[in-house]
Amino acid sequence: MRKRLIALLAVLFAFGMLTACGSDDSSSSSSSEASSSSETEEEADSGPETKAAFIMVAPIGDAGWNYAHDVGRQYAEEMTGVETAYVDAVPEGTADFGNYVRDFIDQGYNVIIGTSFGYMDDMLALADEYPDVVFEHVSGYKMNETNFGNTFGRMYEPRYLSGMVAGSATTSNLIGYVAAFPIPEVIRGINAFTLGVQAINPDAEVEVIWTSTWFDPAVEGDSAQALLDKGADVIAMHQDSTAAGEKAEAAGARWVSYNTDMSEFAPEAFLTAPVWNWGPRYVEIIEAAQAGTYAPTAYWGSMAEGIVDLAPIASDVDQGVVDQVMEAKAAIIAGDLHPFTGPINDQDGNEVLAAGEVMDDGAMLGMMFFVEGVIGSTG
Amino acid sequence: MRQPRLSLREQPLPGGQPLAFGAGLLIALIVGTLLLLAAGHDPLKIYSRMFEASLGDPDAWAKTINRAVPLGLAGLAVAVAGSMGLWNIGAEGQIMAGAIAAAWVARIGGDWPGIILISMMLIAAIGGGGVLALGPALARAKLGVNEIITTLMLNEVAIRLVQWLIHGPWKDPDSFNFPLAPMLPDQARLPTLFSRTHFGLLIAVAVIVIASVAVRYTAWGYELRIAGSSEATARYSGISLSKKILTVLVLSGAIAGLAGGIELTGTADRLTETISNGFGFAGIIVAALALMRPSGVAVVALLFGAVQIGGQSIQTLGVSSSVSTILQAFVLFGAIGAGVLSRYRIVLDANTRSIKKEMSDD
Repeated sequence: MRKRLIALLAVLFAFGMLTACGSDDSSSSSSSEASSSSETEEEADSGPETKAAFIMVAPIGDAGWNYAHDVGRQYAEEMTGVETAYVDAVPEGTADFGNYVRDFIDQGYNVIIGTSFGYMDDMLALADEYPDVVFEHVSGYKMNETNFGNTFGRMYEPRYLSGMVAGSATTSNLIGYVAAFPIPEVIRGINAFTLGVQAINPDAEVEVIWTSTWFDPAVEGDSAQALLDKGADVIAMHQDSTAAGEKAEAAGARWVSYNTDMSEFAPEAFLTAPVWNWGPRYVEIIEAAQAGTYAPTAYWGSMAEGIVDLAPIASDVDQGVVDQVMEAKAAIIAGDLHPFTGPINDQDGNEVLAAGEVMDDGAMLGMMFFVEGVIGSTG
Repeated sequence: MRQPRLSLREQPLPGGQPLAFGAGLLIALIVGTLLLLAAGHDPLKIYSRMFEASLGDPDAWAKTINRAVPLGLAGLAVAVAGSMGLWNIGAEGQIMAGAIAAAWVARIGGDWPGIILISMMLIAAIGGGGVLALGPALARAKLGVNEIITTLMLNEVAIRLVQWLIHGPWKDPDSFNFPLAPMLPDQARLPTLFSRTHFGLLIAVAVIVIASVAVRYTAWGYELRIAGSSEATARYSGISLSKKILTVLVLSGAIAGLAGGIELTGTADRLTETISNGFGFAGIIVAALALMRPSGVAVVALLFGAVQIGGQSIQTLGVSSSVSTILQAFVLFGAIGAGVLSRYRIVLDANTRSIKKEMSDD
């Protein structure tokens, strides 16, 4: 036991020596960095410098949810000149999240953006602990009155449009949908997609497989394959990997990706994609924090605001269909078309929304049923 | 043909271990410097951040200690089994089983006073981990089934069980159908000692001390170590091997289960599928670094925790999670490698005859 203590002391001593030697250098180098950056950028802030940190649940990778957020982060850094940083692969529900946030705050970061649902309760507690720091949570529903808000987008709008493209592309009239978890966000997307499919092709049906993963290429690829084997000739998805698209490509089927334009991963199969565009919203949050005017909101941005969009449509899609989709897009942006407009029936044929009525936000946010034309269960 | 091989030193190097650990760490930091330079970072800035964030002030110590607690208990679980030559690769799952049991108590005891609730949660956690280890223990003790395979496979079972609970019967009705267990009641949180260091520190230290004394200074521990070094000797001296295997593996699982209970009440809001956070697998490394001696795990876990916390922290300076993980691996590998070299020496054998001779001597 005594030997071990000596060992530890020796180790700590060695470690301490190294870092002590280093700390002079590093502090001077960081201060020189700071002075040079303030010289070049000449931001005339009165208060402490604004710095934004992003925390993500999985590696940013080269496509998908976390990648889209990182693209948004870089955009915000470019547009605001504010220093940003990120950590990825931070699991939910462990001490890690809080450790990272405190690390960032120690280093002067005063805007913390968490991009995974499971960070919600941790962020709520941390926002209380650090009242001078702005916390913004993506995809959650909790907030406070001073420094903790949430952000999300009306992905159902471009989902509807991508459904129109898929409806035009299917000849077997069976479209497969590889989906993560039966939560309202995902169910809403499936329903909007299906309504879009039926706007073009009333005979087509959408069959859903739940993977219970957000990112697991093996499971998501296998699920897509199962749907292809059942005769689906278009695959849509609510997943972060590109595996479903690769299976569609191999089978000669078509693919609607998600999160980002993933056309390079399956160039033949790719039709289009509902995509995220987080940059402008991050600019808004950072600028509000910088100006001291940040007020928490439950932001649910639309295609009109630009946080969600439809990726370019594949060049081999019939021009008539493209025109129809673009018309619908313009109508949604103008507020003339709402994907969830009655009459809407559920899977069993019961009327959920009467003709002409538009579904309110509350009903959409808690959506737990499938519309007519979806094969599968929400359980 | 001269072949290098490891040979046990007749006596460990005098002062060898501290020296070797220091040297190993130094080498690791030098190699790490090259890695950081290659990745375009300032090594001194990175190392100084690593140290600051893990051991620089009381808040940093709190982070390190809270991480060292589950690492130390998981390491102890592996080391206790290892004292008898058994491999418990299932600490990860046993941590989850402990957390499940503790979460179950929190569900039924939501209105109990804190001290009773937490005590019952931790007792349940011990039971949960022990129960998960019981199967492999019985199979090994009665049928001779390799415990490495069975404990490893039960990790999968445990994580599926957590997933099933979170997606099914234990899903919070207020979570908008998100697969989340409900929050723990407020009084189910372990009290803190200083900064955010939670009471689990004292529990872990107590358990490690008791286990170390038991393995090193009691007849029970003596028999354990005999059985670990030679089954034949143990049989000859009348030690009941199957009973020992059973007790030791269940005890090992129970210790890992306790780690799960402490994680749940100490750091987590609720039961999640990430509750074990790799501590069970890291515990194997902790135990190996401690040379399978229960008395060593506390120190190793603290070092390991500091390296992990420091490694996390440098990611906030823009070091990618992969580079950070490699760096942590260097540090730990340097320390392990050095630890081995302080007990073994590298011998270049002149010819095969002497190899055979030495082998027969061993």
